[in-house]
Amino acid sequence: MTVAAQIGPMAEVPPALRWGAVVNLLLWAIALLLCLVPFGLVLLISFGHKVEGAGWDWAFSSENYLRFFVGANWPAETTSLYLGQLYWSMRYAVVAAVLAVVTALPFTYLMTRQSRRAQARWLVFLLATLSLSEVFIVMGWDIILSNNSGLPMLFAASGVTDWLKDTGWFDVLRDWGLANPRNVKFKTSEFATVLTLSYLVWPYAVILLYPALSRLDPSLAEAARTMGARPWTVARTVILPAVRLPLMGTTLLLFVFLLGAYVAITVFADPSQHTTAVSIYENVRGSTLNAPFGAAQSVVLLVAAGAFLVLGQRLSRKSQGGA
Amino acid sequence: MTGPNRRTLLKQGGAMLGLAAASGVIGTPLIAQTRTLRVGSYGGYFENSFKEHVFPAFTAATGITVESVTQPNSSDWLVTMQQATAAGSVPTDISLYARDTMIKASRLGGLIKPLDLSKIPGASNLDPYFVFDGGQGPLGVGAMSWFTSMVINPTEVTEAPASWAEFWDTSKYESSLGLSKNFNALFLDITAATFFDGEATFASDEGILAVIAKVAELKPNVALWWSAESQMEQAMKNGDVIGGQYYLDVSNLMASDGFPIKPIFPKEGNPQDYGSWCLAAISDKDAEAAEFMNFSSDPATQALMSRKIGTAPLIAKEKTDLTDDEFAFVSGSPSIKPAYEAYLDKETFIKEAWDKMVAGV
Repeated sequence: MTVAAQIGPMAEVPPALRWGAVVNLLLWAIALLLCLVPFGLVLLISFGHKVEGAGWDWAFSSENYLRFFVGANWPAETTSLYLGQLYWSMRYAVVAAVLAVVTALPFTYLMTRQSRRAQARWLVFLLATLSLSEVFIVMGWDIILSNNSGLPMLFAASGVTDWLKDTGWFDVLRDWGLANPRNVKFKTSEFATVLTLSYLVWPYAVILLYPALSRLDPSLAEAARTMGARPWTVARTVILPAVRLPLMGTTLLLFVFLLGAYVAITVFADPSQHTTAVSIYENVRGSTLNAPFGAAQSVVLLVAAGAFLVLGQRLSRKSQGGA
Repeated sequence: MTGPNRRTLLKQGGAMLGLAAASGVIGTPLIAQTRTLRVGSYGGYFENSFKEHVFPAFTAATGITVESVTQPNSSDWLVTMQQATAAGSVPTDISLYARDTMIKASRLGGLIKPLDLSKIPGASNLDPYFVFDGGQGPLGVGAMSWFTSMVINPTEVTEAPASWAEFWDTSKYESSLGLSKNFNALFLDITAATFFDGEATFASDEGILAVIAKVAELKPNVALWWSAESQMEQAMKNGDVIGGQYYLDVSNLMASDGFPIKPIFPKEGNPQDYGSWCLAAISDKDAEAAEFMNFSSDPATQALMSRKIGTAPLIAKEKTDLTDDEFAFVSGSPSIKPAYEAYLDKETFIKEAWDKMVAGV
């Protein structure tokens, strides 16, 4: 029953309704101003024309989009440089998001089985860690993975490096790019990049999974256990199906969050594995001042991410239907 | 609808900056005749040295108070200045631009005001190359110069390389060097000077591609492609790399702080770049700016900057009172002149070819 129907036809409804309409209009205006206008600008700029040696002009040209797929020297030659960067954007975001969720799930589950007090303590701690910026976290890992101050130093001091050299494993590591002639090295590597990225979003994963897992009725798992199911079977057939949707939602959210990672990539990833976000920054704020190409890359990244999200949702809906 | 909104926002931003500027001089006695000038420099140690040593000397000589403004050493600043100029209020009167950025600014137009050299007699101390004329009159007066140098970790590399070519030796430098990831960070100029005909090689696309192909051979020896200066600083301190390219002034400062880094002038030399003072187009501080540029071109000031900031002077050593040791600390020979024109006229081509090489696609 609507408010108007409750009050009856004779009552004076307009003032309340008018306020509602004004608030509604205001919200729309804010949304428009904060989301659509910047996006519209990016879209407009992406059609601009680059002037060599200077800046760029407003134009309506598809050259920037074309460049993304085949390079600036097309048709003389084609390059997959920018598609490769998009691939690494997706790959890092998917792998790091899945890794964070997979490791956060058991942790969060065990956390919800603890006392209220302990749970609150954990949550406050995790919320507090969110105040650490990407730069700060990357700096920390940079030190942990550095030759004179981190893991490689431990490897050398504990004799592991010498042992690796004696057993021949060291040459294998050199082939993998995880060692220089003196010691093991973890930067730059995909290992370090994914590690830092999932570390970065891990607290978010816990906080996003917590509500669903804490609402989970413990008697379900207990019932399954009393009926003779092993813990792993309980996890697979009772707990996982119950939190399938939040799991999917968390992964997708972390994926979107990670697409924009910049500092961790520039510090830990080899340039052959750099992402679209890095390239966008280089073009917009780098020495070429090529904002149109940066904008075109942003639009492509947005479309690709959107397609990924739709795909993810389809998959989760399908699995939901099949369950 | 967007245009006016953004503009008002920027104007408010400008007003805020103005307010910040005003509060900056509150600390000093405000008399009616106080003349002020806002001067940009690159932040950190660099800017601090200016504030501590150079600006006070200028105020003592001319009575003009300087307000120091932090600006980046990149084209970034052009975007900021462009938006600020459009909004009618710029954050600084004088900006410090590297030569390529200055040429870019002159091509963009409307950002830099031509100077009246008759008010800057000191500029005649400089080589004419350092007083840039973009066709609209003199736009920039050289401030100081800096080298990108070969550096090594002297504890790991006991025998200093005599040539840049030694960095290509994988048996010595496998996964051990730090180079800049930016296409215009002058490693191309180093490679061209070492294996090709130097700046002349940049005249043709084939020449540029050949230089880039030569850099590709070095890739197995590069452990770090740095994009921020601090990355290379950390990597040298941490021992993640044992050599590479880095700024001569910072290397010398790090070395004097006891870190294992040593700048080297190999037989091909190191690339020399320089910064220029440029007056913002909408600034009304023409007279003060002229006095500042005049002061900066003075041999005594050039020597002061070399001693306190570690930059190389833009005038002949004989005109300054720098000792041989002091001069060797900030400069060296031979110097490699960057191919500025190519970097600007073919920037998209060179950037993409370089990025492809670094990415290995």
